[in-house]
Parts: sequence; C-alpha cells; structure tokens
Amino acid sequence: MGASAKGEMLESVYSVLALMFMLVACVQLCDAATVVDVYRLIQYDLAGVPFGSRLANLNHHALSSPFVAGADLSRTVVIVPVRDVNMTFIREYITQRQLLGGLLLLLPQQFNPESKTDTVEGDQINGEELMRGKLAELEQLLIHANIPKVFQLLVFGWTGMFGAVIVEAKRGIEMSFGPSSGGVVKVYCGEKFGVRSEFGRLWYPVYFAFEDNKIDAILADIERNDAIGQPATATTGGSIKAKVFYSKPEDLVNLLALKGWLPGSKADGDANQLPTIAIVASYDTFGAAPALSVGSDSTGSGVVALLEISRLFSRLYSNPKTRGRYNLLFGLTSGGPYNYNGTHKWLRSLDQRVRESIDYAICLNSIGNWDSELWIHVSKPPENAYIKQVFESISSVAEELGVTVGLKHKKINISNPRVAWEHEQFSRLRVTAVTLSELSVAPGLLESTGGLFDSRYFVNETAVLKSVKLVAESLAELGDHTVEANLQQDVLDGMFTFYDSTKAKLSVYQVASVTFDLLLLLALASYLITLYCFLVITTRGLDDLICFFRRPSRKVKTA
Amino acid sequence: MTMFHFLNCAILTFGPHAVYYSATPLSEYDTLGTSIKAALVYLGTALVKLVCLATFLKVPESEGFDPYQEFLKALIGFIDVAGLYFALTQLTHRNISQNHKFQAVGLGWAFADSVLHRLAPLWVGARGLEFTWEYILQGLESNANLVFTVSLAAMGSLMWLRKNKPRTLIPVIYACAGILATMPSITSYLRRSLGWHIPKVVGFELFASLVMAFISWQLFSACQRPSL
Repeated sequence: MGASAKGEMLESVYSVLALMFMLVACVQLCDAATVVDVYRLIQYDLAGVPFGSRLANLNHHALSSPFVAGADLSRTVVIVPVRDVNMTFIREYITQRQLLGGLLLLLPQQFNPESKTDTVEGDQINGEELMRGKLAELEQLLIHANIPKVFQLLVFGWTGMFGAVIVEAKRGIEMSFGPSSGGVVKVYCGEKFGVRSEFGRLWYPVYFAFEDNKIDAILADIERNDAIGQPATATTGGSIKAKVFYSKPEDLVNLLALKGWLPGSKADGDANQLPTIAIVASYDTFGAAPALSVGSDSTGSGVVALLEISRLFSRLYSNPKTRGRYNLLFGLTSGGPYNYNGTHKWLRSLDQRVRESIDYAICLNSIGNWDSELWIHVSKPPENAYIKQVFESISSVAEELGVTVGLKHKKINISNPRVAWEHEQFSRLRVTAVTLSELSVAPGLLESTGGLFDSRYFVNETAVLKSVKLVAESLAELGDHTVEANLQQDVLDGMFTFYDSTKAKLSVYQVASVTFDLLLLLALASYLITLYCFLVITTRGLDDLICFFRRPSRKVKTA
Repeated sequence: MTMFHFLNCAILTFGPHAVYYSATPLSEYDTLGTSIKAALVYLGTALVKLVCLATFLKVPESEGFDPYQEFLKALIGFIDVAGLYFALTQLTHRNISQNHKFQAVGLGWAFADSVLHRLAPLWVGARGLEFTWEYILQGLESNANLVFTVSLAAMGSLMWLRKNKPRTLIPVIYACAGILATMPSITSYLRRSLGWHIPKVVGFELFASLVMAFISWQLFSACQRPSL
C-alpha cells in the first residue's frame, strides 16, 4: 500500500517536471542584437495578375554586395545602401528576375517621413538632387518596369500604338513586343481577359530601411566579413542572419472620402439655391513601399492647401456679413492613383441637386514644389465661360504674387478608362472642373503618386503657401464655419487588389557557424581531459593515471 | 545548431565540477553526500543573502561604482563565509578526512552557485539565434569560481578545523581568506569603476584564481607538515 502510494507520488512529480521542462523549452527566443524597422515593397494584383514582391519572409545570411565570390545568392539577403547602389545590378535582378534570397535597400535618413530633421545644408542639396534622381529611377524599376507595356495597353484599352503582333494561339492570343518595354514581353490572353504574365513578379522579398547608426554598424560588420572572403553560408564563417517576423497578406481596399460644406448667404433666402464651388484634393498614394509612401508633394500639398483654405473660409463665413455668395464644398477623396476612382464614387454619391449646383471645381494636385510657374489643366475648351472666369481670377492674383499661371487643355477620351487628372472625373459627369498643378503634362498610371522620393524633404512650404493664397484670393474675389462634414466609405472598383503587412521588424543576428561550435567542442574536450589528467596526477600520482588508462585494456583482454 | 552551442557552453560551465569530482579521490571516498549537503546550505545562504540585499541595497540608478553600496554588498557577501563555516563545522559528515571534506564542500558550493546563477541564463540565452561570446565567458567565469570556492573552503578548513597551525602563517591565512571572500566585490569594482570589459575581467579572474589556488595549496601543505 505504502509502496504504491510512493510510486504514484513519484509519477506525479515526474509529470510536473515534464510539464515544466516543456514550458521552459517553449520560451520564444527572439532577442536579437539589432531590430530594425523595415518597409516592404508593394504587393498588388492588377486584374488578378500578381505584381510586386510576392514573398515577405526573410531568414537568410546577409551580404553587402552581390559580387562576393562563391556566395550562394539565392540564399542570401543583399543589403545595399541606395546611396551607392549599382543600377545595373538592380536592373539585372529586377527586370530579369534573377534569383535572390532577398533585397534590403537602405534609404538616407532624410527620406524618412518620421524623421524631424528638416535643416538643409548648402552643399548637401546637390547630393540630394542626385539621390532623388536615383530613387526615382529605382522606383521606376521596382514598380513601373514590372508592368509590361502590353499589359497597360490591354488594361487601359489602347491598341495599335506599339504595333502589336498578335498571334492566334491554342488557348488565347499571344502578343509579343519588341524592346520597347526593356525586353521581350509575352502576354497570354486567355478567355475572359484572363491575362497571365510572368513579368511583373519578384519572387523574393524586397524591403526598405533607413540608414542609421545601428544599421551602419551592421553593414560595416558584413562588409568586413565579405572582405575577409568568408562567404556567408550555413557552414563557414561568422555571419549575420536577418529574419523578418511577418503576418500573411490580406486584401485591404477601402476608399474614404471626406466632405465639408460651407453654405453661402443670400439676402433673400435659401442657401441651397446658391451656386457652389468645389475644392477637391485627393490624398491616396501609391509608391514602392506603401508604408513610406506619404506623397508630400503629389497629394500632401494639395490636402494641406485644402485644409488651410477651408480654415480661412470657415472664419470668413462664420460672420454673416462676410459670408460669400457661394456655397463652398470641400472634398478629400481617395483612390487618386487608380484613375481617381474615389472621386468618381464620391461624385456619384453626391445629391443630384448639389452636383448640379456646382459651378466649377478646383482640384489641387502636386503644388508643393514649384517656383514661379503653375498650370491649370482643363478638359473643356478654354472658351468655356466658367473656365475663363477661373483662369482670369487666378491669373490676376498670380500677377500680384509675381508668378505665372498657364492653361493646358487636354480632351478626354471617353473610351479610355485612364483618368490622368482628377478634374476629368468631374468632366465625365458634366461638371466644369480644373486641376491646379505644378506638372505641365499628365502623369502616367501610377506615376507621381507619392513615391519614395516624394517626401517632406522636397516640399517647399512657401510654394504651398503661395498656392493657398492663389486659390483663396481668387475665390474671395468672387466672393461659414463648417456646418456639415461627413465621411463616406466605398470599395475600390476595378482591377487593383492590395495586400497589407507593409511594415515589419527586421531582426539581425550575429550567428556562429557549426564549424565554430565543433572547434569549441574539441577545445573544451581537450581542456577537460587535461584538467582530469592534472588533477589525477596532483592528487593521486602519475601511477594512478597510468593504471586508469591500463585498466580498461586489461578488461578487454580478459573478456 | 543553437542547441549544440548550448551544450558546449553547458559543458564548459558544469564540466569542470564533474571532472574535479571524478578525478580526485573524492569519488573514491564517496563524498557526494557532503557535496549535496553543502549545496543545500548554499541554497539557504543564497536565500538569506537575497533577503539582505533586497532589504539593505537600493536599486542602482546608474552603472557607476558606489563605494557605500559596494561596501554593503561586500558585507553581505560575508554571509557566504558564514554559510561555509556552517557547512564545514556544524554539519555532521560521515567520517571523511578534513582533506576531502573541504574539497567536497567547496565543490558542492560552487556547483550549486553555477546552477543557480548560470543555468537559467544559459538556457534562455545560449539557445537563441544570436551568437555572443557572453556564455563562453560565463563558463570560464564558472571555472574560476570553482577554484575560488575550493580555495576559500581550504582556508576555512585551516582556520576553523585545524588547531595546531604554525603561528607565523595565521595572518597569511586570514588575509588570503579575506581576499577570496571579497573577490566578487573586487571584480565588480574592476567592471564598474575601472570600466574593464568582460573578457578582461574574466581573464583577470582566471589568472587570480590560479594564483590564489597556488597560494592556498602551499599554505595547506605547509600547515599539514608539522602534524605529519
């Protein structure tokens, strides 16, 4: 009885011990020497076709340059600062889709939207301009070069411009193009527009990070390793391992539009009968790294100008005496990079009467980095009465400010779904609209929508202020507190699908190789054996040691 | 691979204790019981020490060397000596010679110290992906600590158990024991105040342990001679 109770107790003790051991073994070990914030290259689908970097997991050894002899590039992360990146390498690895374990591009600190340094030293500006060019080229490569021109044609309905060779194939149409898009591109068009392309995807993760002391130290370490000629593999040399903990991507598309309304005053009655002027800015961005794509110039400047104008006019309209003869409608729209889809949705959802009461709309786009020349883009002929009125009022203010404003007319092709300017969405619904921008020509799809270089650093406050003055004073010449502001949510139509997990933490580990541990084991074994021999000799004498070594051999003999 | 590194570090940390036990006559006389008793005494001492440290010491705000705090710490460190005294003199040991008793007590003491202070960090740290020299250095430190503890136990056995010592050697024995007992404070002083890096401190500890071991060995054999 007592024995069995004792056995049971022992058993329970063992189970508790086993449980404790399991708990201890499950402790998650993720303490790294350095943890860096990294921003992932965009991943998106265009009409169901995958683009961008399709992978996000990263757990490889690191190299500072892809040209280290004997390195297995498909299992290494190449860490390169954009400052001294080799463009031919990037081109090779992006457009020809060479295999790579991963790519980590280091951007200068100035491009960090979160950094607070906005002091510019004189001699730095030249370098920054160079940098900006380089970043633009890089982004071009990372996003735009990956969309084959053919595909753009198919999606946006242009044909014939590039002289397509269309070959009937079994399952669909094969189109092949010459070097116009940087290489021969083949797209197979199956039934129902199911386009399969092997071009735009990157089968390795691409991340961006900002240069700082931590990462510079790591880079120096890696460079030292590379210089010694220890290629980073699992079996030799001390090397650095990078690991990204990441969650799975999921669809994430939402359009949020914000509307503000300042009613004007009329001596004899209803504010609803007054004409309306709309001021609209789009805030969505599209860039190589979605988490870094702030679009300070392309969209941010417009948004800031809109908010400032609304502030000025709400003060003006709060006093009934200074209230204007116009209603003011402020709209912050999204979906700008995707043919101004959000603007379209927002306009559709507006009350029919409100939409018809709009005399004209002024869209603000890219007004943060100009010196003396601004453009008004219109899609109706300049002879239109409202456009004349806007242009005249703006240019008269511009004259006072000492800047010039030009008028650009671009007709809309209704059959082409591409919408280059926000005002075109208004024009499609027969609302007169203009876009105020520093750009003289319409940007292409996904161009100038808030890339990497489009950061606060390159935005000129005075330019934004001048723009605000220009618009506000021209409106005042025609001449609320916001009583109404509402938020509206829509779903992005069309061909785009986006993924989340745009930000991650990169942990960099200094790892030792198996060889090192083997050598360590050997050293330890010899140390312990020496210690043993020493202790035996000093405490029992040499004879004992010799006996100890002889005894087993004698045993073997007797056996 | 990281498990391998953990095993290596564990061998370095705990291997010498096992080797010491099996290589010296301790294993022949079956002194394991004494070692275990010493380890239990160590646990009790550590508990008392912890309570004292928690009661009397402030949480250090900076990494600097505060002489007053360090003095208190050294005083609390002498609780160790009291524990050793208890283990050497008050515990009933099976009839083993004094020669083996202090070794067994020192060994059990040092092993308990290593397990208590080094096993958990080793388990958590050495299995991580990150490689540092820290755990190898920690293993070396454990070796030095073993030598210090055995030397201190030897000094204690000379002080408290041996009656007919040569009078001239008594101050030397006490000085030596004092140095050995204040060793943690000395290393802490080197690390905090002089700003030595850990490899340098560990090197110093190893060197000091060898020197102290040699001195205490000589003292021990010098005291043994007249009795022979």
